[in-house]
Parts: sequence; C-alpha cells; structure tokens
Amino acid sequence: MNNYSLALNVQQRPEVLERVLRVARHRGFKIANLSMQLNSNNSTSIDMLVESEREIGLLTNQINKLIDVIDCRVLFSDPSAALVKQKG
Amino acid sequence: MEQGQEGAAQMEQGQTIRGADAVIKALAAHGVTTVFGYPGGAIMPIYDALYGSPVEHLLSRHEQGAAFAAVGYARASGKTGVCFATSGPGATNLVTSLADALLDSVPVVAITGQVSTAVIGTDAFQEIDVLGMSLSCTKHSFMVSHVDELVPTLYKAFEVAASGRPGPVLVDIPKDVQIAMLEYKTPLQAISTEPEHTSEQLNDARALIEQAKQPMLYVGGGVGMASAVEQLRDFIKVTGIPSVATLKGLGSITIDTPGYLGMLGMHGSKAANLAVQECDLLIVVGARFDDRVTGRLASFAENAKVIHLDIDAAELGKLRLPEVAIAGDLRQILPALSQNMGQQFAAWQAKIEHMKQEHQWRYDRPGELIYAPAMLNRLAQKLPKNSVVACDVGQHQMWVAQHMFFNRPEDHLSSAGLGTMGFGLPAAIGAKVARPDATVVTVSGDGSFMMNVQELTTIKRKRLPVKILLIDNQKLGMVKQWQQLFFEERYSETDLSDNPDFVKMASAFEIPGRNIFKASEVEAGLDEMLNSEGPFLLHVSIDDAHNVWPLVPPGASNQDMMEEMDKQT
Repeated sequence: MNNYSLALNVQQRPEVLERVLRVARHRGFKIANLSMQLNSNNSTSIDMLVESEREIGLLTNQINKLIDVIDCRVLFSDPSAALVKQKG
Repeated sequence: MEQGQEGAAQMEQGQTIRGADAVIKALAAHGVTTVFGYPGGAIMPIYDALYGSPVEHLLSRHEQGAAFAAVGYARASGKTGVCFATSGPGATNLVTSLADALLDSVPVVAITGQVSTAVIGTDAFQEIDVLGMSLSCTKHSFMVSHVDELVPTLYKAFEVAASGRPGPVLVDIPKDVQIAMLEYKTPLQAISTEPEHTSEQLNDARALIEQAKQPMLYVGGGVGMASAVEQLRDFIKVTGIPSVATLKGLGSITIDTPGYLGMLGMHGSKAANLAVQECDLLIVVGARFDDRVTGRLASFAENAKVIHLDIDAAELGKLRLPEVAIAGDLRQILPALSQNMGQQFAAWQAKIEHMKQEHQWRYDRPGELIYAPAMLNRLAQKLPKNSVVACDVGQHQMWVAQHMFFNRPEDHLSSAGLGTMGFGLPAAIGAKVARPDATVVTVSGDGSFMMNVQELTTIKRKRLPVKILLIDNQKLGMVKQWQQLFFEERYSETDLSDNPDFVKMASAFEIPGRNIFKASEVEAGLDEMLNSEGPFLLHVSIDDAHNVWPLVPPGASNQDMMEEMDKQT
C-alpha cells in the first residue's frame, strides 16, 4: 500500500469537496486524513492523505481535470512520513 | 461563437428580461437552433420562453430519448447538442444518456428545471439533488443559485462541453431563477487553455518511428472529435503506416486505404488483431486502451513501444505506459510528426496486405435465410455518400462495425463506451435534425429497439424520414451468445419470442414497413426502405443460430480469437 499526501487549491463552490472525494473513491484511493480551509480569495485549500495500490498519477490526473480545481500537488509519497503525519 | 448570432446577442444588451428568456437567448447566441426535451412543472417558465421563439423544440416521449437525440445531433454534426428536462424524474431520466455522452466524449448541454431555491432541501414535490446526481455522469455541472449567475453559467457550460476532451454538462436552474428578472449581458469569456506539444516530444516520437520496422496506427474516436480526419489521412498517405480503428474510430480511415485493416478488439477483424499483436511500434491516436480493444492488457501489443497522442493528459499512462506521450491537438501534432518523413516500411506493408487478403470477410452463405453481415454489407454499398447510420447495442452493432463502411466518423453513431441499448432510434432522430439532407438509417435489434420505442412518436410528429432496419432473432442475441459459449447453454432470460408484431406497431405510428425472411428478399427490401419518401421500418427475421465472429473471449489475448462455430443454415 502506498501513502500519498496531496495539497489541492480549488474554487469555492458548495459541491467542490464532493467532486474531489468522489473522484478519489472511484479511482481507487482511500482517504486516510482530510482537512479543508476556506481562503479569503474565493479559493479553498484541501489537504488529503490517501492510500492505494495504484500510482498517484492516476488520481492527480483525474483531479486536475475537475473544472473547479486550480491546482493539485503531491507533497510526498513516502510511506513512513505518511504514517508520522497520520499520527500527528 | 458564430457571427450574426453574436450580433443579435449584443443588439439586445442591457434589456431586462426573465431568466427563462435569457436561457433561450443564450442558446441562440451559441448557434443552437433545435433543442430536444420534455416539459414539466419546474421547467415551465423556460418552456414558456421557448413558445414562439426562433429556437425549435423537438418533443421526445421520454427524457432519455431527448438526451440521446441531443447526443445523435452532436455526433452527426460536431456541434453541441442541447436537451431540456424538468426536475425530479425528468432529470433522473437523463442520467443514462449523459453517462453515454461522458464515456463517448460527446458535447451536450442538459438544462434541467429545479424546484425554487427556497424549498431546495425540503424534499419538495419532484425535488431530487440533481447536482449531486450529476457528479458521476457529466464532465461538469452547475446549479444556478442566483439569477445574476445564470447567463455566465450557460456560457461556461457551452465552453466546457466543447473544449478539450468534450463531454456532457448539466445546468440545473431553480424555478425562481427562471422567473427572476435580469439585465442580459454577454459575459466575457475566459479562453480555455489546451495542452501544447513540445518539439522535444515530437523528436522523441519521430525517433521511435524511424527505428520501427513494423509500426501500426491504433485510431480512436478522438480523431473525429478533434476534426483531425484530414490530418490523419495525410499522415497515413505520407508515412504509409498500416492502421486499425476502434468502434468510435470507424470512418476516420476509408476502407480502400492501403494497410487499413478495420476494427480491432473483441470483435475486430482477425487481420487487425494479429497485426497489432505483431507490431513493434503502436501509435495511439485519440484512443484509450479500452478493455474491449485490448483483450488481456498485459499481452496487448506486447512487444511494441507506444506513442500515445491524446487531448486528455489523464489518458496517457492510465492503462499502458507509453514511451512517448503527447497531450495536445491532433490537428497540429499529426502534420508536425509526419514532416520530412518518408515511406520506409515496404516489407511490413506487404505483410499487412497479405494478412488483409488472407482474412477477408466472406458473404457467400448457402441457404435461404438472411445472413445479417451480408445484408449490412449490401446496405453499405447502397447508401449514398451523405449518410448516417445509428446503431443500437448488441450483435447487430458489431455486425455493423464489421461489415459496413463509412466515409467519416460522424456517419457512424454507436454507443461505444457505455454500450446503451436504446441508443439507436433517438440518436438517428437527432442526426436527421442535424443533417436533414443525409440518409439516416438506424440499425437496431429486437431487444434494443423496445428500449426507446416511444420515440416512434417523435418521428411521426415531425414526419422525419428516418429509416429503421430492425434485425430480429427473437433473442437478446449478444447475451445469448455468451450463455452459449461461456455459461453452458443455460439461456437465462434471453428469449424474446414474445416480441410484438413490429410492422403492425410501426403502422400504429403511421410508419410503413415490411417483413422479410429470405435472403432472396434482401435486395428489394433494402431498396424499398431507402427509396421510400418518409420513415420506413424494414423488419428482418434472421436465424438465431448466427453469432458474432471472431470473438476474443474474456481474459484472453487478442491473438487467441475464437473462430466461427455457427451451424450453417
């Protein structure tokens, strides 16, 4: 199992979190940790820790296709670091 | 945006109108002349605005039919199709067609009425969370929560539907937004950025082509969607690289093109599958390694390097890691790639031609009964150049793909990704509206035809001269074929011998028809159908022993095709 940490910047729309979560589930990624924050500039930050046997590109490519996603970065994909963050 | 329409939109700038009127005006501004739909409570203001407007409306008899007509319209014309439905059941009935448009990348804008904003979330009459429902069956969707957002949202919807990899977009409009007043202003449009190729990518791809001894082109629906048919044909002419096509790619390459082997995959031609399995370089053009194409993925073109060209970067490396991946516009990539390239594959071309000769289709069937592949091949020969064939889903769909031939991808409408029975009849209606001068034929099966049979009323209402070729084996044939081959001949629920009398049914919709049973009746039957002035139903009874061959069994590699094992009749 691989762990990946993602940082998303998305448009502030009521349904944007649902869109991201749906894509993650459907493309085979389990969400282990999640936080979101509304920003003052009409954007929203979403930080996610996801687990999957699959390559992270299969998820980030699909997330990047969402119209309301401004950008999506993979912060790390190191299994031990993911564990530390999960506990912290 | 088309000239003239833009002028009309600007002329009326600053006028205060209802939201519903703004919807019609925004459609007209996008060149929409026909919408397909079905009215209901929550969309009544929009239907009121439509009344007497220059935008024509085609009333379907089920929202799925309306949305499939919009899909057919879009696929036959390259323009964006538009459909209307009311809230609740109207919107839920759209889901199948939108999912079909999503999997086949068809630009459609669906506009649904919604209950008023004040009662959203109270389980009001005919209220369902349409935005939530739309997430998995659209490219994007909107709910317009304030009238000020209405026009910009509609413009954005058209932009999203047609740009990049096209797809369906849904706009849910609450009733209070439809009746609220607004000042119509043409919004400033953000220009969508498309991915662009680099010269380094092109050089890498060229190097692979130059090193290759046995290259193959694997051509998908993306070529037609990108309007890159001419560029692809030029590329083939310049390089001489042999080619195969997917179900959606059919028509991109004409059958007389040297080295073209037809469709590959589960029901592909033997030559197409063998050539792809043997190639040392696979050039994938607007295609996506669908499982019906690849068979067992791990052994698909196992010894080939891959160049993958597509507008959608998410398809690159999704299922097969390419040596060179280029996301971008095929109209630019293909000519850039073939620049200064010559023909260098004579030995391979000769081998391909030999395979093509060796594995030709045969139509010389003994016996009195009608052999559907032979009839469809005959139909293809008889059709005028400007024709559209819309199929349903099942055995007849694969026979159409195997035995008919098309000048352009927009001449062959087939539900490829979703495989939706009931697609054919409404798609043909949309195609006839988009291309009134074309001969439009829907080839259907006795199972599929019943799934949207209510659209015969739409044909009757507009006297649309859509030709219906109904191939009837009184079976759910494709499922029956699998039961025969893979489920020990346990024919669970695939007997349709209680079908209605189709010709009698058509006559109830004032559509003339004829039954044919014998091979000797095919010629006259097809001629009568094609030469009749209005709509016509030709009902063709075939032997239920006929199956679709060859067949790559599930889980097998494409070289391990099962060959015909039907008993001769």
